Amino acid sequence: MPGPRNVIQKPKNFEKTFKRFMKELGTYKVQIIVTVIFTAISVLLTLFGPMVLGMMTTSATSSIAAGKGILWDEIIGLVILLISLYVISGIISYVQELILTRISARFSNKMRSKILDKISRLPMSYFDHAKIGDVMSRMTNDVDTAVGNLAQTINEIVISVVTLVGITAMMLIISVPLSLVAIIAIPVSTIFVKRIAEKAQKHFKRQRTILGELNSRIEEDYTGQLIIKANSHEKKTLAEFKEANDRLYEASFKSQFFGTLPFPITHIFTHFAYIIICVLGGYFAIIGAITIGNVQAFIQYVNQFNRPITEVAQLSATIQQIMAAAERVFDFLDLEEMAEEEETEIRADEISGEVEFHDVNFSYNADKPVIRNFSAKISPGMKVAIVGPTGAGKTTIVNLLMRFYDPDSGYITIDGKPTREMSRANVRKLFGMVLQDTWLFSGTILNNLKYGAGKNIPEEEVKKAIKATGIDHFIESLPHGLNTVIDEDSDNISAGEKQLLTIARAMVANPPMLILDEATSNVDTRTEQMIQDAFSRLTKGRTSFVIAHRLSTIRESDLILVMKDGNIVEQGKHEELLSMNGFYAELYNSQFSES
Amino acid sequence: MFKMLRYLRPYWKGALILVVSIGIQAWGTLRLPTLMSQIVNDGIAANNGTGDMSFIILTGLKMVAWAGISALGALSSAYFSAKIGSAIGRDIREDLFKKILSFSISEIDDFSTASLITRTTNDISTVQNTLIMMLSMMLRVPMMAVGAIVEAVILAPDMTWILALSVGILVGLIIVILAAVMPKFMLYQKLIDRINLLTRENLTGLRVIRAFNNEKYEAEKFDKTNKKVMKTDFFIGAVMGLESPLMMLIFNGTSLLCIYIGISHLEFDASYLGKMMAFMQYAIQVILSFFFLAIIFVMIPRASVSAKRINEVLKVNPKIKWKEKSIKKPEEEPSVEFKNVDFKYAGADEEVLEKISFKAKAGETTAFIGSTGSGKSTLINLIPRFYDVTSGEVLVSGVNVKDYVMDDLMKKIGYVPQRGFLFSGTVKSNILFGADLTNEKEMEEVARIAQAEEFISRLDEKYESKIVEGGTNVSGGQRQRLSIARAIAKKPEIYIFDDAFSALDMKTDKKLREALKPVTKNAVVLIVAQRVSTVRLADQIVVLDEGKVVGKGKHGELLKSCKVYQEICQSQFSEEEYEREVRDARA
Repeated sequence: MPGPRNVIQKPKNFEKTFKRFMKELGTYKVQIIVTVIFTAISVLLTLFGPMVLGMMTTSATSSIAAGKGILWDEIIGLVILLISLYVISGIISYVQELILTRISARFSNKMRSKILDKISRLPMSYFDHAKIGDVMSRMTNDVDTAVGNLAQTINEIVISVVTLVGITAMMLIISVPLSLVAIIAIPVSTIFVKRIAEKAQKHFKRQRTILGELNSRIEEDYTGQLIIKANSHEKKTLAEFKEANDRLYEASFKSQFFGTLPFPITHIFTHFAYIIICVLGGYFAIIGAITIGNVQAFIQYVNQFNRPITEVAQLSATIQQIMAAAERVFDFLDLEEMAEEEETEIRADEISGEVEFHDVNFSYNADKPVIRNFSAKISPGMKVAIVGPTGAGKTTIVNLLMRFYDPDSGYITIDGKPTREMSRANVRKLFGMVLQDTWLFSGTILNNLKYGAGKNIPEEEVKKAIKATGIDHFIESLPHGLNTVIDEDSDNISAGEKQLLTIARAMVANPPMLILDEATSNVDTRTEQMIQDAFSRLTKGRTSFVIAHRLSTIRESDLILVMKDGNIVEQGKHEELLSMNGFYAELYNSQFSES
Repeated sequence: MFKMLRYLRPYWKGALILVVSIGIQAWGTLRLPTLMSQIVNDGIAANNGTGDMSFIILTGLKMVAWAGISALGALSSAYFSAKIGSAIGRDIREDLFKKILSFSISEIDDFSTASLITRTTNDISTVQNTLIMMLSMMLRVPMMAVGAIVEAVILAPDMTWILALSVGILVGLIIVILAAVMPKFMLYQKLIDRINLLTRENLTGLRVIRAFNNEKYEAEKFDKTNKKVMKTDFFIGAVMGLESPLMMLIFNGTSLLCIYIGISHLEFDASYLGKMMAFMQYAIQVILSFFFLAIIFVMIPRASVSAKRINEVLKVNPKIKWKEKSIKKPEEEPSVEFKNVDFKYAGADEEVLEKISFKAKAGETTAFIGSTGSGKSTLINLIPRFYDVTSGEVLVSGVNVKDYVMDDLMKKIGYVPQRGFLFSGTVKSNILFGADLTNEKEMEEVARIAQAEEFISRLDEKYESKIVEGGTNVSGGQRQRLSIARAIAKKPEIYIFDDAFSALDMKTDKKLREALKPVTKNAVVLIVAQRVSTVRLADQIVVLDEGKVVGKGKHGELLKSCKVYQEICQSQFSEEEYEREVRDARA
């Protein structure tokens, strides 16, 4: 179908991608070669068709002209030959299709698994910049384009090439001068088609760019529709839209027109080749240089000559597309992974929960240090509050503790053991985490709650956690209780309930240390109270790090880390910090002073 | 899908030319085999096999003429189908956009913004592409088929049964294959959606998955679906793979039959030599046409889904209708008054707001507080008429909002939504979005009040700095400050802050409210808030609980008298702070 999809996307490095593709195909290579051979055989067999049909015609006309009537034995013989050719060719061609389908189904399966696996191996920093949509389109669209089209394209290349060569040979056998007419007409039309196709590509590209612009404008205008209304901006918005929509119309018209043009053009050329062959063939038949059956066969061959040529013209575009998609997949698969890990295991039940920061330095971008020379010792069971204005970098501490990122220099120890000498999985097992973005996966509530603890945890443990967080009533009110299915966006439960569920999840996992984010701005008072209670129950006896928003939490903590512009500017207890009369005091007073 | 053809009306002239061009093209093409058969019968075989070269050349020239006419038809049809198809796409897109722009919140909610976006983008593209294809293929294919059948029947009526037989087999085959594959196609689509969902989950939940060490579990879950995709993929391929070998068999079988039957006639009628050759070409043309038809019929249902989704939106009649002319002149001094307002969402049983009455005067700040679901945001959305009341009246400067011309009402209001939303453009274009062009000085003043000046001055190009789509290149707090600046720049008489301060830290929140004081001296200020610290200094606090007003007054008064307000304060203050607050209130 003509459309923006026809834009050729070119791979950046064709040769490299191609080699890589071949490597990935690995064991399938032999099978692919087999299918190529099968396709070639099946095409060649059918190519004899017109010639044999011509022989039938010639046999009939010449025997009638000789007054012998039709020699049916000869005709039937040819018919049987033809039928066996056709049937054998059909069977071979289907076997070939089956092999190819199997390869492409398996290969795309493999690529999808590889991409998912890659996601789990990439460092967190990759996802700071990557767009979710981009990764997702590699998973589905690109794998589909690269692998799905690959099978089809290999098939078409073989068919086209064999047909082209085969027909040329057949025509040459029948009549050299007639063949020359056909063979000259083709390159001329190909040149025309190619030039038009190039022009069309330019317009397709333009159309795609404009469509992209228009689509993001639409997205923006719909999302901000209320703001547009509230600011009486509708007329201007509509005028801007119309202008872009008109430009799209122009581009779309041109790309459609030039996109369909190659078809009439090739038709014109084949028509003229057909006419010349009819006339010349007639002349040769009259002078006896060619049999009537061969004229018939020749006309059939010319009619078939057209198709592989238009197809080959389009194939180069498809190949580019496949390679571009494959390149995107491979680029993703080749991204640098997280460093290998040391495998010394600290068991969760053997840990006391002492955490120490030793001269930690960290930056997301090399030129912008985020944490400078930070040292602190947190004794087992201590409650640490991390405070600071929005955007001060409070989550950075969490990122370092969980080893989502590693410090540039300095290190963190747990019970005296540097975390970088432990596996990431091991470090993470020691912490329970309740974050502001309450991620739940699609599945039942029960499975969500068991998420950190593993499938084998008894349901009683889960029930205990549910009671402790006070969501037992909420869960009972759901249609299927614990087995109610929720999904990623989970519209059927409120933000507060989601947060309570994530708290319960951490409780079920029963980790020795905790990381909590208190931000709960969109929750009603009663739920807020429940969350607070659940938090304090959860933190009891555990070393915990809290991104704090509530004064009560802050004042009860054993250590407060005050952050500003990505740095830890002050640390200490509430009273100490207040008496320093620094940034913390300012922050604190701004909230409660009368003015 | 066919409903979309109504958009053809303005282009009927072009459409007519298109039909004629396609007709000419088909006709020209179809003349060729018949003329060829004349060359064979009356040229080559003429004069007892000695031939008639001048007849052959003459017929050849006729063929050139027909081919030329056909070529003109082809070019003209390519031109008009592209032109009309693109124009219709543009018109539908514009209609849809206009319609959606006129929607109020309730209509947008009925569809969801995301769905409206896909309808305007993907669905229209699908419909447009299908329309263009329909315009060329749908017209040409049946014409070719009918034309070829007519020519073939005229040429050799006693061979017609060959056509019927092969077309019958072909159609039967296509139906069987599609019937076998269609359900699997749908399943495949569903599975791919699931793959998408799982990938998305893995990306959005990355931290949680890693924190709980559940990479393996996720991989296993993914693997299950991935295997199913593979199996379905293979099944579809295996069935669809039958199509091309069988098609070839039908093609070749038909050719064979034509020649075989033709030969058997040759003994009695020499003209069958040319006839059978031409008939064979027509037969192939007919089979090809039916094959294309099948492809079209597969595509139409897909486009129909899109067309239906577009029509659903176009059909909607926005419930809120604005007056064309203003009826009553509003009072000079701005005010907002609710008189016994009830509100419930369309189709809902329960009222979201019940018997709400209050008056907010110029120069005063009125704050709304209450738990989620208490109806605060809904209440405030009634003022710019994002929704209409179910009963009661909302008066702005003494005039019912229903009696305003839309622009007049909106000019009075500076609205800051819960989540700061920015348009792509520059810092400047966003601040001045609703304002008549203010001068630079004024704009900077506005930014200063909104506490945005500091971060803007740190940007590389200050006020000309680019804001990308969705404003994602500035932080949430900065976004909120810019959207506050946008409201201030309008110099409205009524300010509405719908929980607009919660994205700010307490310090900025406080500074901002202080800076706002002088500009809002003569204006009505309405604030929806979660934090007591944001509302405590308001001239009037309206406490909402389950859609009802349960308290109205100043902070101190409410602390003494309103139970819900006390609960809210208790949850946000520590015990001693709360005690202090209550003591102060009593004193």
